[in-house]
Amino acid sequence: MSLDVQSRQTDAGVTVLAPSGRLDVAGAPMLKDAVSDAVKNGQPRLVIDLEGVSFVDSTGLGSVIAALKMVRSSQGDLRLAAPNQQVRVVLELTTLDRVFPYFATVEEALTGF
Amino acid sequence: MELLRERAGLPAGDRNLILFETAIAEIGSNVLIYTGKHGTTGPPVEYSLRMEAGVATAFFADHGPPIHNQATRAMPAPTSEDGRGLAIARKALDELAYKREGEVNTWRLVKRL
Repeated sequence: MSLDVQSRQTDAGVTVLAPSGRLDVAGAPMLKDAVSDAVKNGQPRLVIDLEGVSFVDSTGLGSVIAALKMVRSSQGDLRLAAPNQQVRVVLELTTLDRVFPYFATVEEALTGF
Repeated sequence: MELLRERAGLPAGDRNLILFETAIAEIGSNVLIYTGKHGTTGPPVEYSLRMEAGVATAFFADHGPPIHNQATRAMPAPTSEDGRGLAIARKALDELAYKREGEVNTWRLVKRL
């Protein structure tokens, strides 16, 4: 099962990517592609809305780390929003919650970004 | 996994069940990737799941190459994009056992629910 990624831009110029499905070995390349497109378009401030992500594995985490690197190499930044419990558990287990402070909602992630 | 949750009488979003499912996904994905790359003829992968006295056990057997050098790999640095799968499984479980028996890799994943 592949991952579907919707993209939109806010009035403030932040790109919000909303993947939907499992962010795993099959879905991770779709997120990487979407982030790559967003960075090419000169919008290095990204919010990844995880509300539609039902499950993340180590490969999916790798794609989020790759996204952070891409964005930061363009002097931008990335925020995660609305992870479900499984995603939060995995971020905590890997201590990546220290690298990716996540926000409960997209609106919170956009505040002051 | 839903059936296991019902049989164990656990609520939706139970943390231990999330950890068990996450570990199964990591080991299962690892097994499929390695047997896909290097697989031989014969039964590709065996998988079983058992629930007994509050303990969930999953078992995998595959004919992929031996992975002794990776089975105890530590959690990589936060900036690493890969190499977390087995470390996640080990942290998520109460026991993760790996053995090479002849030409077969066997994995036993144990989680008290």
